[in-house]
Amino acid sequence: MSVRHALLALLSDGPKFGLQLRQDFEARTGEVWPLNVGQVYTTLQRLERDGLVAGEDADDDLADGGPRKHFHITPAGEVELGHWLRTPPDLSSPPRDELVIKVLVAVQVAGVDVHEVIQVHRRYVVELMQQWTRLKADATTADEDLGFALAVDAELFRLDSVVRWLDAAEGRLRRRPVDVAAAPATPRTAAPLPMPAPRRRTGLRR
Amino acid sequence: MSMLEMRQVTKRYGHGPTEVNALRGVDLCVDPGELVAVMGPSGSGKSSLLTIAGSLEAPTSGEVFVGGADLLAMSRNETARLRRRSIGYVFQDFNLLAGLTAAENVALPLELDGTSVKVARRAAMLALGELGLDDKASRFPDQLSGGERQRVAVARAVVGDRRLLLADEPSGALDSENGEAVMRLVRAACSRGVAGVVVTHDAQLASWADRVIFLRDGRVADSTAAVPGPESLLTGGRPS
Amino acid sequence: MNGATTALPRSANGGRAARRALVRWSVRLFRREWRQQLLVLSLLTLAVAATIVGIAIGANATTTVQAELGSASHLLTIDGHASKLSEDLDAARAAFGTIEVISHQDVVVPGSVAPLDLRDQDPHGAFKHATLRLVSGRYPTGPDEAAVTDGAATALDVQVGVAVRTGDRTRQVVGVVENPLNLSDEFVLVPTGQATPAAHVSVLAHITDEQLTSFHTIDGTGLSVQSGGDVTSSQAAAIMLAISTVGMLFIGLLAVSGFTVMAQRRLRALGMLESIGATDRHVRLVMLANGAVVGLVSAIAGAALGLTAWLGFAPHLERILRHRVEHVNRFDLPWWALVATMALAFLTAVVAAWWPARSVSRVPVVAALSGRPPDPQPAHRSAAVGALLAGGGYLLLFFWRSTAPMLVAGILATTIGMLFLAPVAIRALAAIGGRAPVSIRLALRDLVRYQARSGAALGAITLAIGIAATIAVADSSMQATADAAAPNGNLRDTELVVYLGRESTAPIPDASATALATAQASAQQIVTAVGAASAITLQAAINPDAATLPPLGNQPGGRMPASLAKVKSIGNGTSVQIVSAIYVATPELLASAGLTADGLDPAADIVSPRDLNGLQLELGRRDPTVPKVQVYDLAAYTSEPTTMISTASMQRLNLQPITAGWLIRSDSALTSAQISAARRIAADAGLTIETRTTTGPNGALGTDSTTIGALIALAVLAMTVGLIRSETAGDLRTLTAAGASTRTRRWLVGATAGALGLLGAVLGILGAHLAVLAWNHGRLGSLAHTPIANLLMLIVGLPLVAMTAGWVLAGRQPPTIARAALT
Repeated sequence: MSVRHALLALLSDGPKFGLQLRQDFEARTGEVWPLNVGQVYTTLQRLERDGLVAGEDADDDLADGGPRKHFHITPAGEVELGHWLRTPPDLSSPPRDELVIKVLVAVQVAGVDVHEVIQVHRRYVVELMQQWTRLKADATTADEDLGFALAVDAELFRLDSVVRWLDAAEGRLRRRPVDVAAAPATPRTAAPLPMPAPRRRTGLRR
Repeated sequence: MSMLEMRQVTKRYGHGPTEVNALRGVDLCVDPGELVAVMGPSGSGKSSLLTIAGSLEAPTSGEVFVGGADLLAMSRNETARLRRRSIGYVFQDFNLLAGLTAAENVALPLELDGTSVKVARRAAMLALGELGLDDKASRFPDQLSGGERQRVAVARAVVGDRRLLLADEPSGALDSENGEAVMRLVRAACSRGVAGVVVTHDAQLASWADRVIFLRDGRVADSTAAVPGPESLLTGGRPS
Repeated sequence: MNGATTALPRSANGGRAARRALVRWSVRLFRREWRQQLLVLSLLTLAVAATIVGIAIGANATTTVQAELGSASHLLTIDGHASKLSEDLDAARAAFGTIEVISHQDVVVPGSVAPLDLRDQDPHGAFKHATLRLVSGRYPTGPDEAAVTDGAATALDVQVGVAVRTGDRTRQVVGVVENPLNLSDEFVLVPTGQATPAAHVSVLAHITDEQLTSFHTIDGTGLSVQSGGDVTSSQAAAIMLAISTVGMLFIGLLAVSGFTVMAQRRLRALGMLESIGATDRHVRLVMLANGAVVGLVSAIAGAALGLTAWLGFAPHLERILRHRVEHVNRFDLPWWALVATMALAFLTAVVAAWWPARSVSRVPVVAALSGRPPDPQPAHRSAAVGALLAGGGYLLLFFWRSTAPMLVAGILATTIGMLFLAPVAIRALAAIGGRAPVSIRLALRDLVRYQARSGAALGAITLAIGIAATIAVADSSMQATADAAAPNGNLRDTELVVYLGRESTAPIPDASATALATAQASAQQIVTAVGAASAITLQAAINPDAATLPPLGNQPGGRMPASLAKVKSIGNGTSVQIVSAIYVATPELLASAGLTADGLDPAADIVSPRDLNGLQLELGRRDPTVPKVQVYDLAAYTSEPTTMISTASMQRLNLQPITAGWLIRSDSALTSAQISAARRIAADAGLTIETRTTTGPNGALGTDSTTIGALIALAVLAMTVGLIRSETAGDLRTLTAAGASTRTRRWLVGATAGALGLLGAVLGILGAHLAVLAWNHGRLGSLAHTPIANLLMLIVGLPLVAMTAGWVLAGRQPPTIARAALT
């Protein structure tokens, strides 16, 4: 869970209060991923339990009377943070992408124009990208927005990859000899009839 | 009034068995200050759309108006003058004339139009200054990086009082950072009232546009709606 | 609101500012890319330099009249025996103003037929001072002093400080002189007034033709007038014009092919220029400006190179031109012609750039931006234009070749017509090679695809070969069709004739048997001296009834040999002009002319290679005999003993044979050392020899011109093949990537060079034959003696050499080709 390590990273700068941690987190990630206070405290408790951070009561109390805890990172925490930064995330097993499934289904369902389905998704994704780009364009290139810019770029590249996949999928579908579902086998497609099946399987594996 | 207006434009290349229909009845309007992206796979006719809009090629049928002037009614010399005064071009590569410095390249369309060397140079320096290239003004194209070259090309495309900016994969040969820089310049030009058309297959480039048109087999297949406010993206809104 | 609707009152082409910007770009491009244009530049420079050297040589080669007249316009020669010589001279002085009078005597050279001229020329004479120069020693001053030229010193076997016998006087040689304008002019110089009695007197004056015609004082007999001036200077101008025209054509063709390649290379840049609003005229201007820069640079560089070469090599030319090229004379060039050449070179480069500029400005912008070459023009249309131009030009050459403007127009039209025809020839060759291996097929197809430049290249090669072939064909046809006037000269340069008398038609001394044996022995010595095998005895025919002539002056007496002469009655006397000596047709002499006694016409009295019918047989008898002459086929030389009288005719006319001399033939041309050795032997024995005196056409010229033409054609080939192949470097890379070996690349380049060479040779030789035919007004006979060896060398050798060179050189890919595609 990345919130855990994000908090460790924030604490590596120096001791901080819980609320301060939340504000810093949102500032660093460009307010792209909002975080609620409860989540911050739950995570901090677990970190304390695991011996990665240490908390101590501050001298001043909060207005509501609760103890105001001051957190700092332990040496074990620093080791864990370093280990985490260098461990690649698990990318080997594909996520269950809903869009991919929808396109695959559209290919199978008779009477559905798969190109139209693809275009609907593409338009939506491009519109999303336009919005992100507009955000980026409006933002000034000041230092405090660096995290924001990085996050927006990540989102744009992710969406871009979706558009590219849609383009590739469309190209692949277009090169299909005939629409297998819609048209009966013609003499021209009769010979290479086994071909579409393996192709579809290839598509499935991806 | 639209800066660029194309009505039922078709373009055919070749004859008989080698006939290719690049465009089949395309309608396109671009208003001043608007940036339109044309997306499509290769062979979809997007480059033909741009060359026809830029008077480099005549359509097989249909009408093209730039700033209200009918391109088809113009002579070769008149379209050349239109390109000098009203239309700016940015290509994927090979945008600048070797042998002329950055400033001279930018000043060239003005000089071709009869502006004196001094006035043209002043305008060129101004355009380069806005792009942060003042210190590169006296360099030759081969002494500039790819990104700088493309920025000079944008400067040349908007220098003077040009109102229509046409770009064909303007950052195709650049990395994403330089590509973004170029698109920022195009965007900035549009915000000053220039009408822009960017042709690309790259969604990231297209996403800089106000409107994205999807071209398939020479036809406009789809287009995006107007961009909603950016706030819709952030669930919690942006704290001030 | 926008630029299109706010029409500003500016010119459609942007006016001066636009032109200035484009010229600036063009000049900048030239400065950046001059290395890529180096081939074009250097060949243009060479062509300009060659034209300028040619003009300089032309200007200096036409001074033979000057060598005789100096700065005078007319030379009057008066017989020295004229009754009132001094009155005539006074009258001439009165009529013409300043005159220069030179008296001449003949000095007999012992052992030689040709006498030497003795003249009393004043070194500071009014007109001829430039034709006399002191080489060493001093000018003669007293009546017993003389100076000689080096040739005369050799002939007379004297040197400075030695006495020389001239006629009846003995003089001391005090200096060596020369005629700097004609080093072949050999003479003895004596002080003014010391050449008495004069054999003839020359009077030089600078006068108009009107002055001459109004001058009647000198009586008609023994007066001959020679004028210089107008005729020669217009000839020189015509030669220069022709040289310039051909030179410029050559430059033009080279430049067209070079600029076409350049236009192709800049196609994308020009397309981009158009995309930012340049008009067609702007695009043309860029190319024209480039042409102008290239023209300007090569005109200046070529002029500098040509002048340097001229000044540096002028001394070496003296030997060829046979006159001194003084420091002063070296700068005495027709400057107007040089400036005109430079201007023409500049103009030619601009015009040559216009052609590709026109075609590149017509390329659609989109095609230009993607670097696609313009579609080749349909071949049949250019063929029609070419045929029309070539035909028209040929007719001009055929009918009006004598008028200079028509000549130039004819050459221009024919050559440009050939240029238009070239694509057809290339297409034909490509069609023939359609089934050849892939590398050859690809090479030929590239030639067709890049027709504009390959056509121009072919034109240049054709022109180079055409000129060479024309010279070779013309030279050999000139040799073959030499007519009875025998411009060939007196003898072949391998021949030497020994006479018992003073010359071929002089009295033959009555020699005793022992004297004849001595003479025979001397002749044999000469045979050994010149390295010949044997001597053929020559027998003259004499009239036994005629009286033996007494000695006259230094001429011995003896029997007059029979000869053929033109006899005219003048008043109550007769004038006899001997045309040819005749010899007895002994089997030995007949064989030497390639004849046999059986092959002769029994009805003919005389056989000769010259048509001498109608002449009288001069026998010293009163009754005229006009013999029948059988003409046989042999190149005619005036003194060669080839005119023979049959023995039957001898008997009929009651003539007797008498030994007159010997004909000696060597295998190679006689050297001057051999000739002077022979002359010394002859002088000691009281004999006389005759050798070749003039230089006429010879085969060496044809071979030289063939070699030079082939070399020029090869240079042009190297340039164009390099250009064409460098433009298709991309193809070559693709081929290499597709697994083509070095061998393929070699064949590709070799086939390109070979094809262009072959087509150029065929077209050039065809053109040369047509040119010679036109020159001879369609006499097909003039082509009968085609120099087959030379032409074979061109038509087979040139393509082979080109192909081999291409094959060898293509092995190593020049680094520039690898870099060419990166722009």
